[in-house]
Amino acid sequence: MCEGKLSEDVRIVERREIPANAKMIHGLPDVGLVGVIAVSQIISQLKMVEVAYVDSDLIPPIIVLHDGLPHSPIRIFGQDDLLVLISEIAIPAGSLQPLMRAIVDWMDEKSVETAISLGGIATPNRQNIESPKVFGAGSNELSLKILREKEINIMKRGFLVGSQALILHYCAEKDITAIALLAQSFYNYPDPEAAAAVISALNQIVKVPVNVSELLEKGEEVRLRMRDIMRRTQSELVRMRKSQEYDIPHYYVA
Amino acid sequence: MWLERRDGNTMRRRRSIFDIIREYMEEFERATEEVLSAFEQPSWNLETHSLQPLFNISVTADEVIVTADLPYADPKTLKIESVDENLIEITAKMRVKVRFEDFGVSHREGEFSSFHSRIPLPVPVDASRAKASFRRGILEVRLPRRRGYRIRVE
Repeated sequence: MCEGKLSEDVRIVERREIPANAKMIHGLPDVGLVGVIAVSQIISQLKMVEVAYVDSDLIPPIIVLHDGLPHSPIRIFGQDDLLVLISEIAIPAGSLQPLMRAIVDWMDEKSVETAISLGGIATPNRQNIESPKVFGAGSNELSLKILREKEINIMKRGFLVGSQALILHYCAEKDITAIALLAQSFYNYPDPEAAAAVISALNQIVKVPVNVSELLEKGEEVRLRMRDIMRRTQSELVRMRKSQEYDIPHYYVA
Repeated sequence: MWLERRDGNTMRRRRSIFDIIREYMEEFERATEEVLSAFEQPSWNLETHSLQPLFNISVTADEVIVTADLPYADPKTLKIESVDENLIEITAKMRVKVRFEDFGVSHREGEFSSFHSRIPLPVPVDASRAKASFRRGILEVRLPRRRGYRIRVE
């Protein structure tokens, strides 16, 4: 095992060799758990294996048991040159900044070529939307160029709050090409349809052979399974003032 | 100013701004603890075989809109009752039974076959005029807000 000296508070412990120039997909708990549902599907359908995990005093003293063995709730899975970050717990709002900074530092160290974070954009009339639209935002000109080429609607103005906001911000500082994809979603209900929409958009950028119809078919099961993590995520969303994403920007500063 | 002491007796004293702030902060802390303690309960009940659904409340100028996510709910069994003017109760049977085992949990036993939740309402409503719909597994209840007096603008 090798250990990065990225941050005093957050350690990323590697269990396998990490390929250079990989693409990394992020799925952390947020509105509608869109990112978590999407990357769970990717990890299980591609049968990806754990390549690294996050160890930090900034997250609650919790482990997740899988087949009787302890695992960190925040892990990185890999297959060939694809890496996937997932969290099985709601991340405390106050820990998000040091945690995301450490993850972006680690991506920089591993020369990650592109980071794509998947998530949702809470839409009050979500129930009346049959097929959720997907919007994108980027960390640099290259990421915007990719979005334009793939004809993904760019979020031009407005606020982003949470892990996706931080990934874009820290990646912009280091000039890492990062893209946030956000599907219209419920605020506090797990949204498998939004997850399917975001996977379809992801597929235009990085080919991930995942069958979204399977996800849609077991939508009810996903919603039931995700109930508890959604509940806990919701209280963190309140703490991070997620509702500011609804706010209309006050002044035009280009 | 008369204040009730914890031992039930009353005493008279002047409240400074600091007292008011301290009381306000205590009140705030109590409220926070109450909210947080709700999360320390499981979201399931083994005795009633029921799960607590995720729900959402929004308040507009005219209505209180309560929604609840009810995957696997059988629409024919949906029941919405007004317990009192501040509380509504939602129950629904599920089309399937789920057991802990179905989630890969082997250290707990029990199965669940319904949803049950009591939802506190933030403002007074006229529940008798409420309307409900159920689409794609999500229940929506619209409760008109109670009206008071109209104030005439001179």
